[in-house]
Amino acid sequence: MSASSDGIAAAAAPLLQVEGISCRFGGLLALDRVSLELVEGEIFGLIGPNGAGKTTLFNVISGLTTASSGRCLWRGVPTAGLGACRLNRLGIARTFQNLRLFESLSVRENVLVGLHHAARAPLLGALLGHGAFRRHQGRLEARAMELLALLELEALAEQRAGDLPYGDRRRLEIARALATAPRLLLLDEPAAGMNPAEKDDLRQLIGRIRDHYSLTVLIIEHHVPLMMRLCDRLAVLNFGRRIALGSPAEVRRDPLVIEAYLGGSGGGQGSAAGEGR
Amino acid sequence: MDAALLEQMLLGALLALSVYLPLRCGQLSLATPGFYAVGGYVAALLSTRVAAFAGSGATSPLWALVAEMVLGGILAGLIALAIGGPVLQLRGIYLAIATIALVEILRVLNLNLPFTGGAMGIFAIPQPFEQADGYVLFTLVLLALACWLCQRLEVLRLGRAMAAIRDDELAAASVGIDTPRTKLIAFVASAVLAGVTGALAAHFLNAWNARAGSFDASITTLAFVVFGGSRYWLGPVLGGLVLTALPELLRPVGDLRLILFGSVILLGPLFFPQGLVTAERLRGLGALLGRAPQAP
Repeated sequence: MSASSDGIAAAAAPLLQVEGISCRFGGLLALDRVSLELVEGEIFGLIGPNGAGKTTLFNVISGLTTASSGRCLWRGVPTAGLGACRLNRLGIARTFQNLRLFESLSVRENVLVGLHHAARAPLLGALLGHGAFRRHQGRLEARAMELLALLELEALAEQRAGDLPYGDRRRLEIARALATAPRLLLLDEPAAGMNPAEKDDLRQLIGRIRDHYSLTVLIIEHHVPLMMRLCDRLAVLNFGRRIALGSPAEVRRDPLVIEAYLGGSGGGQGSAAGEGR
Repeated sequence: MDAALLEQMLLGALLALSVYLPLRCGQLSLATPGFYAVGGYVAALLSTRVAAFAGSGATSPLWALVAEMVLGGILAGLIALAIGGPVLQLRGIYLAIATIALVEILRVLNLNLPFTGGAMGIFAIPQPFEQADGYVLFTLVLLALACWLCQRLEVLRLGRAMAAIRDDELAAASVGIDTPRTKLIAFVASAVLAGVTGALAAHFLNAWNARAGSFDASITTLAFVVFGGSRYWLGPVLGGLVLTALPELLRPVGDLRLILFGSVILLGPLFFPQGLVTAERLRGLGALLGRAPQAP
């Protein structure tokens, strides 16, 4: 009995634990003892006003910023000092709020760069370009086109990434991140600058991607209605602190959240979080 | 055109490729002449001090030249490997300054080490070829090999990783590219190519001294790449060929030639900010030839 419950506990062990992360930049406390746990397979939303520390938390999780204190655990193992490259190899991929594509490369090549580790091949064969290497290349190209098709970018494969319109760039960032075969996908404002129809498409797309690759998704987004419908759980950050955590319904009713969004008018009538309906 | 000038042009093209390799990875390194000098000293010392390398006939043996080039490349590569770790943590202009310092350190060492012949350098380096034609043929093969390797980079994951780092180093790291390692590979490859070229040049020039690796040479080799374009290997090759030939071809105009040469270097980037060879022009050329080359 106890053995089987141990087994269940191990299976349900969180994919990522964020434990008391603080991040100080000079006089600014960007994150103040933030803790979260992500369960495998969920879509977890991170909302909060501008400057609340959402992107800083992403940077800490993905290894671009070092936390001043606290720690992150990946499947129970501390990730301190691993750096962005190693963390990506462990299974954490991300997109960037202010889009960081490889702009001089084509759309297809951007995804191929994401397939960097899948592209390992013996050096001599690669140099001479013999059969086995070409077949391997062919499989990579096919994989890249598959990802582009999933994100509805295949028609743009040979375009320079720097020439793409805004919405396509956001989707290409997702394709590139997916190419690294992640277990956890961090999406930083993927719907920014999109119109309502595009936002709706994106919501369905994120759900599809999660199901297709059985991913865990951590998403930052300002558009509250989208988040209410998309996320299994939500955390709310304000001034670097986690002020709420729970299901969308719980978060929507939380008086602290209502106050943060309405700027201290004390809740009551017309909560901003309630605009999701 | 005489063979001696052609040989200098080919050597210029090889050095331009050595500057291009780190630049393809977004790293502005001016260390090429330093490694070039190191390779040259390896060849000069071996072929003048070691009897087997000098040979007994009228010309020194070809295997000795190849061995010296390999050893020169290895020594230059080892120096690059040793200093690359810390130096490549610098970015942009700071990396350029550090590599200029490296070139100066190597130059002063070459002037003062007990076995490098001081300011006079090393003379009477034996010739593996009787005439310049031999050098030209040999260097053409070497340049073709270097160009072929650069062309393969366009389709290899290493080449794509380098291009990704050039575009956005942070994003490259976050898709799982080991950016310090990739930059080090580019830096070492650049040093090996410069060392190999130096070993060959020492024989061709017959004498070798510390002036081979000077700050002036850093700027000249950088001009090759700026003039030709740094996005595709054809650019530096073209830049190296043209800018090496130009001062010689301008000899008839006398004292004006350096002014004209300077103007070309100045006006080149003004009218062709991306260099002579760009992705668009390559595509145009490809359409003209009826098939698209692998353009970046």
